[in-house]
Amino acid sequence: MKQQPGVCTFCGTGCGHFMKVTGTAVERVFPSQNHPVSKGRLCVRGWNIHELLNTAQTINRPLIKKNGQFAIASYEEAIALLVDTLKALPPTAIGFLASPRSTNEEQFLLMKLARAVFKTNTISLSSDAGHRGCLNVLSRGTGMAGMTGSLDEICKAEFLLVAGSDITKQNPIVGSEIHLAAQAGAKIVTIDSRRTQIAKLSNTFLQITPGALKLAVAGIAKCVVQDGLIDSDFVRSSTKGFEEFSASLTQLSEQEITAKTGISIEEFKLVAKALSQAKTAMAFFSSGISGLDEDTISYIFNLFAMTGKIGKEGCGVNPITGINNLQGGYDMGCAPDLLSGFQSLSDQAAVKKFNTAWGVELNITPGRSVSELLAESPGQLKALVVIDHDEGLVRDAAALQKVDFIAYISTYKNKFMDHAHMVLPAARYIEEDGTFTSTDRRVQLSVKKREPQNDVLPGWKLYARIAEKAGAKWSYAGPAEVMDEISRLTPTYAKLSYKKLASTFGGVQWPCDEKNPDGTRRLDIKAAGSSISFAKVSGAFAVPAAGKDFPYLLMIGKAQDFWHQNNLMRKTFIPMREYNATLLDYPEGYVEIAPDTAKALQVRNQWQVKVVSPYGEMLLAVKISADVKPHAAYVPYFARDIIAKALTGHPEIFKQGEDATIPIRIEKV
Amino acid sequence: MYLIKKNDILQIAKALSTEYQVYGPVIEPGSGQTFFEKVEDVSEINLSAPIPAAPPKHIVFPQADRILSYRYAGGNAPVEMKPDFKETPKALFGLRSCDLTGLQCLDRFFLGQEFVDEVYRSLRKKMFIVTNTCVVPFKYCFCVCTDSGPAAEEGYDLNLTDIGDNFLIEAGSAKGKALCEKLQLAKAADKDLAEKNRLVDKSITLFESFSTESKAWVSRVMNRITTGFAKEEVWEYVGDQCFECGACSFVCPSCSCFNVVDTATGDCSCDRLRTWDSCSYEGYSRMAGGHNPRKPVEDRRNKRFFCKLSYSQSKKYLRPGCVGCGRCDWVCPGDIGMPNVVKYIRRETTSRDQL
Repeated sequence: MKQQPGVCTFCGTGCGHFMKVTGTAVERVFPSQNHPVSKGRLCVRGWNIHELLNTAQTINRPLIKKNGQFAIASYEEAIALLVDTLKALPPTAIGFLASPRSTNEEQFLLMKLARAVFKTNTISLSSDAGHRGCLNVLSRGTGMAGMTGSLDEICKAEFLLVAGSDITKQNPIVGSEIHLAAQAGAKIVTIDSRRTQIAKLSNTFLQITPGALKLAVAGIAKCVVQDGLIDSDFVRSSTKGFEEFSASLTQLSEQEITAKTGISIEEFKLVAKALSQAKTAMAFFSSGISGLDEDTISYIFNLFAMTGKIGKEGCGVNPITGINNLQGGYDMGCAPDLLSGFQSLSDQAAVKKFNTAWGVELNITPGRSVSELLAESPGQLKALVVIDHDEGLVRDAAALQKVDFIAYISTYKNKFMDHAHMVLPAARYIEEDGTFTSTDRRVQLSVKKREPQNDVLPGWKLYARIAEKAGAKWSYAGPAEVMDEISRLTPTYAKLSYKKLASTFGGVQWPCDEKNPDGTRRLDIKAAGSSISFAKVSGAFAVPAAGKDFPYLLMIGKAQDFWHQNNLMRKTFIPMREYNATLLDYPEGYVEIAPDTAKALQVRNQWQVKVVSPYGEMLLAVKISADVKPHAAYVPYFARDIIAKALTGHPEIFKQGEDATIPIRIEKV
Repeated sequence: MYLIKKNDILQIAKALSTEYQVYGPVIEPGSGQTFFEKVEDVSEINLSAPIPAAPPKHIVFPQADRILSYRYAGGNAPVEMKPDFKETPKALFGLRSCDLTGLQCLDRFFLGQEFVDEVYRSLRKKMFIVTNTCVVPFKYCFCVCTDSGPAAEEGYDLNLTDIGDNFLIEAGSAKGKALCEKLQLAKAADKDLAEKNRLVDKSITLFESFSTESKAWVSRVMNRITTGFAKEEVWEYVGDQCFECGACSFVCPSCSCFNVVDTATGDCSCDRLRTWDSCSYEGYSRMAGGHNPRKPVEDRRNKRFFCKLSYSQSKKYLRPGCVGCGRCDWVCPGDIGMPNVVKYIRRETTSRDQL
């Protein structure tokens, strides 16, 4: 019997699987039937993860670029080069770009390496904006910097709101849980500008004008207030700041809501009523590189607070991470201003604790996010250490040219290597023990299933070697000891250990502390005797309007055939074929338009059109689909290079990711 | 017919292990999940384990299998080709009747047609099959609707039934009989067979309501699909729920579709792999020029049900391609396993309620 339990490491759902490893080959993978979240299911990616793990397209040796060519180097040589280069620079010129794919132990040690050894606070995750926004709202509102609900309680929710997320494609098993809840009688409401699969599976789909999501949520909140659907007992006993939020809604008129969202007030009223009448409810939205902005999340949070759907069983405001350990990345303090467990660098007691434990004096001036620095102050960074980067810093390619030294640490080969001056290999995740924290704060242990190939070092050991070379004394025997240090320094992980994780099938959800030694399934206001604070909102609802010159509103999003640049998918067979099918039909990307739009423009499928915006233009093929409304158009993210080029000089638009709504006109070529 | 004391049952597996690689149901201790795996020691086998999560299909048709490796240095250099499969005698001990039926479906596909699949044949040859009657059905089972259980009727070398203190052993082949004789097993009496029949009848009454209610419906739906009376809107309703994960095909004991890919292993060498494939994938039916006869997901989705309930298995072999194991129901993120689809076709379900 060689079936070994493990955790799928593609998206943030954290599905359980079994793997059969024979010698060096991963023979096959199978879903884990009794796993609390995935319950025997996997998606197309998860079912084929063995193909990725068996790929030969890995980095096998340290490489140093000499005269524009990579030459094989020894670990000693490469680590010496890295350390000497970094040590010669002022800390403000050094940046670390952590990976949301790394284990918690690796992220923690990288954070320690950056702050304690190289004295820089410029450390961030490659998909920073979206999830940080979620954590900010949730942390300020509840004190818990993570999903307030739990994925294994989706089946207990009577009402499910999916806000602007193509969830069945991005986190299929979360989408499945939502669908199964509806099959059992729960109501799903989806708000989106494009008819996604979850929209088709919903009881009600509000197909809003692109860019009007925040207003739509505010519209529901207004109907809750107007129709007296507030959970007043809950608001009175367990919340703070309702009046201010309520007052902000009064300025909003029904006419404005309807005009800007394209949805009648009656529909919002129905949703408001269903939400408040349900005993339990959950909200879902994507976080990560193309997540919602903080203000929109604040409205969702407040809507659920005023209807009493936070901090109880079957309830929750749930950001869904697109990459497996994005939540863990923040938990481990891979952010310019955070230590592990969302402890702030401005928190003197916390800093003191770290100083004592690490025997250092931490620099307490927050750093900046690497992507922000590259975009806004190119040239400031002289050296950059990048881990497993598959988000493609395409938009920053020019800024990367200005960085004198880039070290890339990764398992798989990808195009980012071209930017690097040196490359260090890291072992695959099945070649070392490690923990991952999925989107519902679930920390799961993934055990080692085989030896690393070609004597490649696992991440934690590599970072320790770098630290030692730089003069620090690190003496971890293995990842378990790193977790011990994490638990000593991180209140939310205080009672976590490998021993506990190994004996708990399906992981442990943080906070796992003295009070909750077995972890915490959900935020429980009653049990904690705590209260929640309404989030501050802007009250501003600028929705880009189509006009005479630019009659269509363009939205940018993820296509089903695209998954995080497809760097990992390209190393498989079946998912590669699936993810390539659309790329083969539309190698230069496409713009999806409604049948009526196509008729008006007199264009047919796969014809080329010019998409002209106030910021620039791009040539794309037409894809006709009833999933977009007339006057709307959709470009999938995989045409990112093309989009980026069209938006050159307007990083503020590009930065909005899926929220970006751009008025355009479409010209027949 | 023979009898063996319950505690001695693994002696048969032990005896088989001298000649065969033995596979059997094994419970993974951490999770309690059952797998049908090759065992190092027959004591790992647990005959009362629930139906294995995955069918034994991977034994004859692995998820990813190197079937050939080749080398070509270019120019006039010869191409070196090495087929990469061998025959190893295998004993499947404790197979459920649904899974035996699935194996028979695979046999028909890989061996029973004009071209015999050599890779499959080599993996399937020299196999000793011991089935295990399901005296208690499992939650997702509906083999009573698909004529494939709860007891195996043919195709086994030995069939075991737990009749209390003993297992009743029925020999289905000369090979099976010879083994029983060699082990000098006690002969069973008619009353033992009667007890088995009683237990099988009782087992049938214990199935979940879907199976008992829908017994006739699977064949009615076969008829509806084959004669074109399943409504288009029902397929759209089903298609909307498909997550395109491929799981239904992967866990299906009778799904036989595969993909063939060549993957470079060095500068001049290559492995040819055969991997499981699924008709739910868009790339599965996409042709080189970009045309896809089954592009919309509902077309792909109904392909699976046509295959199980209409195409060759049904038309040529007069039985459903579905063996009623219920695994597609368990693994499906879209809740469109076979039982639900049969229900939707039967009730002509085409839409869900609005708020």
